[in-house]
Amino acid sequence: MGARLRYLLSEVFVGLRRNLLMTVATIVTVTVSLALLGAGLLVQQQVNLARDLFYAEVEVSIWLDDGISEAQRVSLEDDLRDNPEVSDLIFVSKDDAYEEAQELFEGQDEVLASIEPDFLPASFRVSLHDPERYLVVESQYAGFPGVADISDQREVLDRFFTVMDAFRNGAVAVAVLQLVAAAALISNTIRMTAFARREQIGIMKLVGATNWYVRLPFVLEGMLAGVIGALLASGLLFVGMQTLIGRLREQIVFIPFIGTAEVLTVTPILIAIGAGLAAIASFVSLRRFLSV
Amino acid sequence: MLGSLETGAPVRRATFPTWCRAAVIRLDNVSKTYKNGGVVALSNIDLDIAKGEFVFLVGASGSGKSTFIKLLIKDEDPDAGEIWVGGKRLSRLKSWRVPTLRRDLGCVFQDFKLLPNKTVFENVAFALEVIGRPRSSIERTVPEVLELVGLGHKHEAYPHELSGGEQQRVSIARAFVNRPRILLCDEPTGNLDPTTSVGIMKLLDRINRTGTTVVMATHDQHIVDSMRRRVVELEAGTLVRDQTRGVYGYGS
Repeated sequence: MGARLRYLLSEVFVGLRRNLLMTVATIVTVTVSLALLGAGLLVQQQVNLARDLFYAEVEVSIWLDDGISEAQRVSLEDDLRDNPEVSDLIFVSKDDAYEEAQELFEGQDEVLASIEPDFLPASFRVSLHDPERYLVVESQYAGFPGVADISDQREVLDRFFTVMDAFRNGAVAVAVLQLVAAAALISNTIRMTAFARREQIGIMKLVGATNWYVRLPFVLEGMLAGVIGALLASGLLFVGMQTLIGRLREQIVFIPFIGTAEVLTVTPILIAIGAGLAAIASFVSLRRFLSV
Repeated sequence: MLGSLETGAPVRRATFPTWCRAAVIRLDNVSKTYKNGGVVALSNIDLDIAKGEFVFLVGASGSGKSTFIKLLIKDEDPDAGEIWVGGKRLSRLKSWRVPTLRRDLGCVFQDFKLLPNKTVFENVAFALEVIGRPRSSIERTVPEVLELVGLGHKHEAYPHELSGGEQQRVSIARAFVNRPRILLCDEPTGNLDPTTSVGIMKLLDRINRTGTTVVMATHDQHIVDSMRRRVVELEAGTLVRDQTRGVYGYGS
């Protein structure tokens, strides 16, 4: 078994060294494609994390007519308090809304200048026991006297998440294309190595080596490139995550962010994909050489 | 006899009493046509080769000798007919079982097929390594077989340092090191001068005397005539002659 292992390792490293340039190109392609795929997966995790939190706290805003009478407002508030769907209720007056806007856009003077104290309407912010039943609440209060409009934060969030989903889909699509390119490069590298050793393969077949014995060094060579690429990709993701999320975390405090744990869960997936893809590419590219 | 062939009468079969000895190679109505160009390589070949026989396969270039050998090692599959080698029915042999067939067959070629970056010892040992023989067994077996082929003193030489005859001896050592039941030789003396060829034939004869069946495709009239062993002649893919103690051609 010792001789066999020694043979295997020497074949793998001779193969890698012989096509150093191709090997480097292959590893770089694998790294880039897997890093993109990993980024897609991390965005997905980030979106899920934020989505769960936001949707749990989603509120319905019932915007009031500026001309609403005090009696109408009280009647609306009583009705909301008696409604079994409603879990919590806050009245936001025009002044409150103006103050909130001042805080939200602090430092952005142009935006602030465009907001007059009287510009934002008063509203009730309603939390629901079940945020999914937003439409029921909307239909109940749409025609209520003094109600101007009813909006659900989910509409805003959905727009945000649509953007994130598109980003993820784009990253995954590019990653898949890159992976195809990586597979082609691996296949080509292995084919070159096999071609350089076709005499040896022919003799091995002739004296009765099994196909697996002939194939194994090549497949391992491909898989090694795949695993190295996956590890480099994970490293890139970790560094990228640290820089980007680190900065975001300082600026945006109300969103939970993914961290090292998420990168660590993505790493084995990338290794599995890198190694698996390389193994399949090597396996397929050897078929021609094995039918000796 | 030639006249009877032209009228399509049956070819005279060998008088060798194969019925009393196990056939180690049997071809039953085997035909092979190559897809590209539709060249008929072999047509309706029936042949039995008994254990321990020495058989010359003669015929002009393109008469089907190489195809015959490729069929025996299941490098090619026949279009029709059945082939048995060493008790294995090749049409029923799963592709993953082909290595077990090849371990029972030694192959020697005109161009030696040695690995240039390996020494004589390593070239022969390679054949055992790739079938998973333990190192200790390799260390014991390879010197024995190199001694047998007369290269006991050249373990560390590289193929380019050897003469053609010596290279062919290495190739024979590699084919024989696993003690196969059958040795298949495709023009083994094709690249060698007459004197060297005689040495190679003596070696093959010695291997044959150990009980190994030897099938040798050749052009070499002189060798066939001097050995006086069984001769099977192919002509355009058809078996036209099978003689127990034959010569190369009718005229000679």
